[in-house]
Amino acid sequence: MSGVNTDSPKGVLRTGWSAVVGDYAIACGWTCQGSLLVVGDAAGGVYGFEATSGGLRWAFPQIHETGLLALAIHPEKSQFATAGQDGRVLIWDAEDGQVRQELELGSGWVEHVAWSPDGRYLAASISRRVHVFDADGQQAWSSDQHPSTVSAVVWAGSQELATACYGRVSFFSASTGKLIQKLEWQGSLVSMVLSPDGNVVACGSQDNSVHFWRRSSGQDSQMSGYPGKPTALSFDGTGTLLATGGGETVTVWSFRGDGPEGTSPGVLDFHLQPITQLSFAQAGRRLASGGRDGAVVVWALEADGQGKVTGGALLGNVVAGLAWRPDERALAALDASGRVTVWRVGGQ
Amino acid sequence: MQTNEKVPVTILTGFLGSGKTTLLNRILSEEHGKRIAVIENEYGEVGIDQALVINADEEIFEMSNGCICCTVRGDLIRVLGNLMKRRDKFDYVLVETTGLADPGPVAQTFFMDDEIRGEFKLDGIVTLVDAAHIEQQLGRSDESTEQIAFADVLVLNKTDLVGSDGLDSLEARLREMNRMARVVRSEKAEIPVDTVLNLSAFDLDQVLERRPTFLEPEYPFEWTGVYALEPGRYELSLAEGPDPEMSLVITVEQGSDDATLREGAELCVRGYAETPESIVPGADIPLGKHVSLQLQTPGRKSFFLEVDAPMQVGLYAQHTAEEFDMKLLDAAEGSELPVEAERIWVAQHEHDDEVGSFAIERPGDVDPDRLNAWLSKLLREHGMDIFRMKGFLSIAGESSRFVFQGVHMLFDGQADKPWGDAPRLNQLVFIGRNLDEQGITGGFDACLV
Repeated sequence: MSGVNTDSPKGVLRTGWSAVVGDYAIACGWTCQGSLLVVGDAAGGVYGFEATSGGLRWAFPQIHETGLLALAIHPEKSQFATAGQDGRVLIWDAEDGQVRQELELGSGWVEHVAWSPDGRYLAASISRRVHVFDADGQQAWSSDQHPSTVSAVVWAGSQELATACYGRVSFFSASTGKLIQKLEWQGSLVSMVLSPDGNVVACGSQDNSVHFWRRSSGQDSQMSGYPGKPTALSFDGTGTLLATGGGETVTVWSFRGDGPEGTSPGVLDFHLQPITQLSFAQAGRRLASGGRDGAVVVWALEADGQGKVTGGALLGNVVAGLAWRPDERALAALDASGRVTVWRVGGQ
Repeated sequence: MQTNEKVPVTILTGFLGSGKTTLLNRILSEEHGKRIAVIENEYGEVGIDQALVINADEEIFEMSNGCICCTVRGDLIRVLGNLMKRRDKFDYVLVETTGLADPGPVAQTFFMDDEIRGEFKLDGIVTLVDAAHIEQQLGRSDESTEQIAFADVLVLNKTDLVGSDGLDSLEARLREMNRMARVVRSEKAEIPVDTVLNLSAFDLDQVLERRPTFLEPEYPFEWTGVYALEPGRYELSLAEGPDPEMSLVITVEQGSDDATLREGAELCVRGYAETPESIVPGADIPLGKHVSLQLQTPGRKSFFLEVDAPMQVGLYAQHTAEEFDMKLLDAAEGSELPVEAERIWVAQHEHDDEVGSFAIERPGDVDPDRLNAWLSKLLREHGMDIFRMKGFLSIAGESSRFVFQGVHMLFDGQADKPWGDAPRLNQLVFIGRNLDEQGITGGFDACLV
């Protein structure tokens, strides 16, 4: 296919602004009611950009020594958290870019950080443990050692925290840290998403498959045959569609009826190199995909997972992050060269 | 989208106390100016400023299919995956494993994971051996055996603690287990850094340049002498020597050039596999048969052979002529016959260890379909026991060499430089446990066009 072959965006994507950060851009998110875009880079820098102009509000080029690994936006307040190879979690005030709290988790990499949906707790994983902090930055609890390094941390509503590691997904009580449920499967789980109702747990695995469980019935299934490992996963806002990477095509499983078992997935074919990023907008089954080829594509999907391209743009480098602004009228993309690109998003 | 130069990675293995940390510090101090990342699985005393040292627990990830060959090191995927994002990329990565690490999953990580393979290249596996303790370790643990079998370079360290005879026999034993590796000796890991870094050991050309004879096959005989005979009776005269008996096969119509000597050698290997006929002094030696000359009596001994037509014969003897002052004389005149051609062979050694290595070298082309079928079957059935494999092939109809390498069941190959005027041939090296050399060699021979 063709259609996205120049620097100017096509279809629903309209030119917005772009900026650069100091190194490979690792993660981003919108805060302050969508008025600020926060970006973290591989050199450990954290930057705040004005949403509409792209102007730099504040910048801290190397705050996490040797590198930043994760960034999470607070669901309500104008706060966010960053984590890095320095073993620290920093809690920031987004308005002025000041660090409000500094949590020392030990010597090791803090690879994952996540706020509970109600904003009461912050979870952070270092090596084989996950630590949970309350709103005052006090440690609420920490887990026992997992069997291997924690590879994903996701909240299941505000009552439960899910972690993934080699061979296991664990559910902990948000308030007490008590282990509630263990889902086991021999495989290296490299990514995890939960359906919005928390019932479906989907993990990408090193052996080029997606494994998922339904917590209500205990039933599990494996979707294999991917050419690569599915590191990018995204559920749509209704929990009907699960978009998965793991190759040059986006594979979309539909949970309508008895699916996805026994059904054919939607196959979205555009990218020339493997998918690195997937992000559903909350409304309207609109999916953004990014790949190693530097392309960002916006898809309009049907309930069966099939879809068509409605817009796209070409970055100069591997797509390293995608984030819809909360009003879904803008889409931010990061790339491996450290470029931050924001497009305005029109109607379909 | 960018085609970056892949970052080389060296794996340092060896038992606790073998000197890994000493070598590591030595590399870091000599390679100052380079950006080196060190991934350590045990806390060492690495204290060089410019190096980024990352401690990571060894995490072995097996797959749900249960295949050990798909087993990878999760810690390396994670750490390398993050390191490769930095714009000021590292010039080099050193991975120091624990003494108990199985090198298989470490090496497999660089084949199995597409993202790692896209950014890094495995430069070589360096195994440090504590010369004073390795003999005990080899008897006790599979890990030390496998660390030796996987190595591209074996650093025989702490040689000051062992006598030179002991070192020679140890080196011979290690070579037997791994014919691909280069062996270097050191006292306190004091070796030139370029013997362990930038080896391109997974590039076959380098191996061939380093040790051009490593593919020399082993034979059960050490010496061949070719003589031109007229019809008549001849006397083979031997003085006392190092062995009370000596095996011998005499080939007929034997050519003098190297190729026909090798052909004769292959024939004699089959002859040597037969039970020898004992020949006492004074008796006649049958042509083309495996015989055992009985040499127990003191002084010079004579055996006889008869030829009824003019021809060249080849004496493929278990020992060299020099060791027994062996001569072939005209029985009637007593005059000594000149040797038309002579050849010394690499003698076979006893294979004590389960882990060993062998090489196949064959001129000509292979049929790609037959080769594929054979190799798939071999790796499927014996991939667990084949630790490493590398070589190059002459594929029928292709103008370039095909170079390949493998770790267990994983196989990776590509077209290399064109053959041009060079003679087309195939060279393969296998290292593994209880490998069936004859079976594998026979299987490969059946793939030849």
